[in-house]
Amino acid sequence: MEDISLQAKIDVLSEEQVLIQDSAVAFIARDPELKQVRANRFVQPGFDRGLWREIADAGWLGFLVPEDEGGVGLGFADLSLVLIQLGKGLVPVPFVATAVLAARTLTRADDAALRAELLPRLIGGDWLPALAWQEARASLDPTAREVVCTNGRLHGTKCFVPDAGGADAFIVSAAEAGGTALYLVERDAPGVTLAFEQRVDGGFFAEIRFADTPVGKQLVAPERGAAVLAAALDEARFAVSAELLGVMTRALEISVDYLKQRVQFDKPIGSFQALQHKAVDLFIQSEVSRSVVLQTAALFDGDADAERRAVAASQVKARCSDAALKIGKDAIQLHGGIGYTDEANIGLYLKKAMVLGAWLGSASAHRARYAELTLGGAQ
Amino acid sequence: MNQSIDYNALDDDAFRRLVHDWMVANYPEELRFPPERMHWEQCGRWYLKLAEKGWLAPGWPREYGGMGLDANKLLIFMDVCESHGVGRTPDQGMTMVGPLLIQHGSAEQKAYYLPRILAGEHIWCQGYSEPGAGSDLASLRTSAVRDGDHYVVNGHKIWTTLAMDANMIFMLVRTQNTGKKQEGITFLLVPLDTPGITVRPIINLGMHDEFAEVFFDDVRVPVANVVGGENNGWTIAKALLGHERIFIGSPKFATLAMYRLQSLARAVGLFDDPLFVSRYTALKLDVEDLGAAYRRFVAVLKRGGHIGAEVSMLKIWNTETQQRITELMLEAAGESAGIWGGVATADGPVRPAGEFIGSRPTTIYGGSNEVQRNILAKAALGLPG
Repeated sequence: MEDISLQAKIDVLSEEQVLIQDSAVAFIARDPELKQVRANRFVQPGFDRGLWREIADAGWLGFLVPEDEGGVGLGFADLSLVLIQLGKGLVPVPFVATAVLAARTLTRADDAALRAELLPRLIGGDWLPALAWQEARASLDPTAREVVCTNGRLHGTKCFVPDAGGADAFIVSAAEAGGTALYLVERDAPGVTLAFEQRVDGGFFAEIRFADTPVGKQLVAPERGAAVLAAALDEARFAVSAELLGVMTRALEISVDYLKQRVQFDKPIGSFQALQHKAVDLFIQSEVSRSVVLQTAALFDGDADAERRAVAASQVKARCSDAALKIGKDAIQLHGGIGYTDEANIGLYLKKAMVLGAWLGSASAHRARYAELTLGGAQ
Repeated sequence: MNQSIDYNALDDDAFRRLVHDWMVANYPEELRFPPERMHWEQCGRWYLKLAEKGWLAPGWPREYGGMGLDANKLLIFMDVCESHGVGRTPDQGMTMVGPLLIQHGSAEQKAYYLPRILAGEHIWCQGYSEPGAGSDLASLRTSAVRDGDHYVVNGHKIWTTLAMDANMIFMLVRTQNTGKKQEGITFLLVPLDTPGITVRPIINLGMHDEFAEVFFDDVRVPVANVVGGENNGWTIAKALLGHERIFIGSPKFATLAMYRLQSLARAVGLFDDPLFVSRYTALKLDVEDLGAAYRRFVAVLKRGGHIGAEVSMLKIWNTETQQRITELMLEAAGESAGIWGGVATADGPVRPAGEFIGSRPTTIYGGSNEVQRNILAKAALGLPG
């Protein structure tokens, strides 16, 4: 599939970034027909553990972990090159949930010895922790209220935990005196119950109930927990935006290719102006999204403070969620009837856009947050 | 004409303060947020003040007397100007001819014309469109016939912005009638006081004489005034269109419209209305995200790279965003949407009707947005003709 993005024409990659991108491109090229996606759909745990190990071997799980903590110590711009390809290939693995959200929570854990124990296991692909932070639908609030920790025991329910069926442990935020603490909880700890919701993309969200569940080690003390979560969540919002960029880019590439092949009225339908203009509008959406992803990656790789990161995370998530959904649904229209079948792969991109667009805050939720964070002066 | 100050070396906040303080101290209060394009009689003194400060051409390289700003500093400069309501001068010398001559002009042309632009001695206008050549520009018919070391020009240009204030026109003329229509076009620089030229203003929907028609009747122009060689005008024009499209693709106008909407919304208390705030924020992000895309393209130019037809995406996004902003201004203004006078605000009167009407031509000029989409369909997506 031909790359129609403007990256090759106007952006500059370092030599190392070219290597990173090439290896990610080669990785997804092995499954052009998306057989892996279909094989893992609607079957627990919703992702492929074998693929996960291969991704670990590629080194990508450690990109955002500092070198002295056993990681690769690269930046968000570097990681986005991988994420875009994972999005293009719809690779069925919980990459952002584990290698960004959980990993970036763990890199901020209080205890160096604990970090040294856990991070290498995560990076090696042997151990998958799932972060359970959310307590209400459409919530962006990292402060724990529903799940409470008293005397070392957890009570309460977390929701929308992605791909928890394959997790080896949970990182759980809990309200206690002094704020929101983060604890490690073993998968088979007593009093843990998982209820699954099937996602439209074939994966699963879990609702996790804790009933008098004993906590494992404390990762982050209650004074810092909410801030640690907020930072990791904003990084994950950037990362999922980069993945969405890959999803929308490939959906557009497939659609443009179809416009060139499909003949009606004795001509390729891509010669019709109405369809050309629609396709151009989608192209502009994808390139504006790419521009914001590039800008945000640079900001996250720099020394911006937490508030500026939060503003940027909401800006990029709002754009990429909206653009991916728009491109996904218009791609169905451009395909006509075949686009509405499960057999055609284009629908898989729309469904991925639906899931990732909503996860960690929808476009409208992030526009509202952006307004809250920036409009003080305007009003 | 070399500027000694390296503004890019300043940190962003210091640069913003520097520009802001100088604008506040020097920009005439009565010209803040002008409701329409200013004529020379209104803004000439301001133009010369900018010239004297060395801030007329923020994007030109320093060696030619510009400020040499990088993309980021350029956006800050723009934002400060728009937030203070600094009106647009007759700027086609800075935004179009200057960059074109820097790229394609001969050494003599650069040495002669560039300092005169910066000194405010030459005010330029653009002679491209004709009554029969709008979106299909290459079908232009204004002719230039060689007569010794002169051309004799005859024809009719239209939509010439602020021609009545200009003393120079850069124009496309037909020097050959055989072969492809793009191949017989030449790019010519013409003093407007040359005998045989008549300028006639056109009143637009805003009741303002912003445009003009320009008639050429046996106008004699020296051959030395050709840029880029005879019959190479289409190539030159396309290069200039690139400059024009990056200029009209910059967030400048959408940013200004956003500041006007903000003043209006404060004045009528709309920031307490969650529905309005939601729509305001969506537009604000459309402008901010355009800024990200604009920086990406400008960075290519600063690296000395080439920008292709893809830059049209900026023009489409910018102009359609600007129009949506002015449409929200109409809604925010209630009945005042239908009057010329508008609404009093803390930042002076905001005129939604004028803003709305004034944004209509943006999707038409510089190649209509529909033509831009045709171009992108082929150039960016490779769709069949």
